[in-house]
Amino acid sequence: MNTLAQTTENALILLFTGDPELWNIIAISFSVSLRAMLFATPVALVLAFLLAYGRIPGRRIVISIMHTLLAIPPVVVGLTVYLFLSRNGPLGDLRLLFTQTAMIIGQMVLCIPILLAMGHAAFQGADRRAWETALTLGAAPWRAMFTVMHEVRFGLLAAIVAAFGRIITEVGSSMMVGGNILHYTRNIPTAIALETSKGEFAQGIALGIVLLLLAMILNFALTVVQGKGVITA
Amino acid sequence: MMDQARRPLLRYHELEKRFSGDLLFEIPEFSLHGGDCIVLSGRNGTGKTTLLKILAGLIAPDKGWVECGGKRYSWPKAKDHCRRNVIYLHQQPYMFDRSVAANIDFGMRLAGVPAPARRRRTDEVLAWGGLEYLAGRNARVLSCGEKQRVALARAKVLSPKALLLDEPTASMDKEACEKAYFLIKRLQSEGIAIVIAAHEPQAIRRIANRLLQLDAGKLIDQTVLKVSDHDDAPRECFRE
Repeated sequence: MNTLAQTTENALILLFTGDPELWNIIAISFSVSLRAMLFATPVALVLAFLLAYGRIPGRRIVISIMHTLLAIPPVVVGLTVYLFLSRNGPLGDLRLLFTQTAMIIGQMVLCIPILLAMGHAAFQGADRRAWETALTLGAAPWRAMFTVMHEVRFGLLAAIVAAFGRIITEVGSSMMVGGNILHYTRNIPTAIALETSKGEFAQGIALGIVLLLLAMILNFALTVVQGKGVITA
Repeated sequence: MMDQARRPLLRYHELEKRFSGDLLFEIPEFSLHGGDCIVLSGRNGTGKTTLLKILAGLIAPDKGWVECGGKRYSWPKAKDHCRRNVIYLHQQPYMFDRSVAANIDFGMRLAGVPAPARRRRTDEVLAWGGLEYLAGRNARVLSCGEKQRVALARAKVLSPKALLLDEPTASMDKEACEKAYFLIKRLQSEGIAIVIAAHEPQAIRRIANRLLQLDAGKLIDQTVLKVSDHDDAPRECFRE
């Protein structure tokens, strides 16, 4: 087995020489997770707003369920989605199993509770006067909702970053419903798991570096944006 | 026939609000006329803020209907007419996390006013409120008095028929109060109906022409029409 230093060197070479297989895995990972976020974020944030501001029957039950789902293991989500999409499942006729769409569904199930819980907390912490001021100045309720969203944008951005961080790194759901098919459903976490099991650590470390860099960039960007949120005269 | 000038802008009928089944207030009729300056007094918890928010269409009463432009509207339709004509200002006005100019621009942008007209109107209103020097400043960092003046300017730019002010001079020093009263008086002289909720109405009696008191769920009119000793013109004053 190569030493850790040699393996890391090989990983960096793979990364910076533009290894097509490696970059294809990175592209699939981002494509799937960004689409999952794109579909999940608007729905989750509007629902979070309604839970905070609306009179929804059973609101407390919904909030409790969402908080419980925060701790759900990705592999359990994968199993559930698998059962729904498998040939004998209720959605089997759609033939979505082992496709990117199945991976997106699994990742949406994982990120919606985070977006909902953190979004709801951000809306609850917002000053209710923002909502009333927007309405009295002529905003329709949906415009007033966007105004409140703008007022709590840093909290919502943190929710989005946290949710994206969860789904781009999850392996259980993607492995089960995606099938880890090369050039189609193999993403960064499933590739790391596979390469490690084969003893091919270079590609695993290279992909790990990508995930670490991503986490660093996202957190740095969030800190910069939130830093701008400091009120200055 | 009713004098056109004294026809109410909005007339609220049979307003009733309850909290957890307990009656907060019951008001058979309440009218807003152009140029009115009504002081609404009452102890804490009598429902002054709730009443103002109902008048502004921000919360719904348990019962009641509104007459506007000769037509009768019941809730929830009535709230659209209230919101279109009435602006409510919180005790400590909420400032959006943006510049003073952008705060003033907010309502006009919603109304779809073209950008050049918005800029011109914003400049005019900033000058009206003596706020030019604050135009680019984040509205969140202003003093209470400055926030109140920005809120008045932000309301004025939308040309409402009525303005409802909830304890507008609470936690303000004398100078800031004077500046706020000056602007309120100017709005009143422009024909806007003003309603001011005040815990201690003494200080604002001089700019008011009607004094109402909310007590034990009833709205009591304390305005007395008197004829002056020096001339025959009737004028309104208040019971002590």
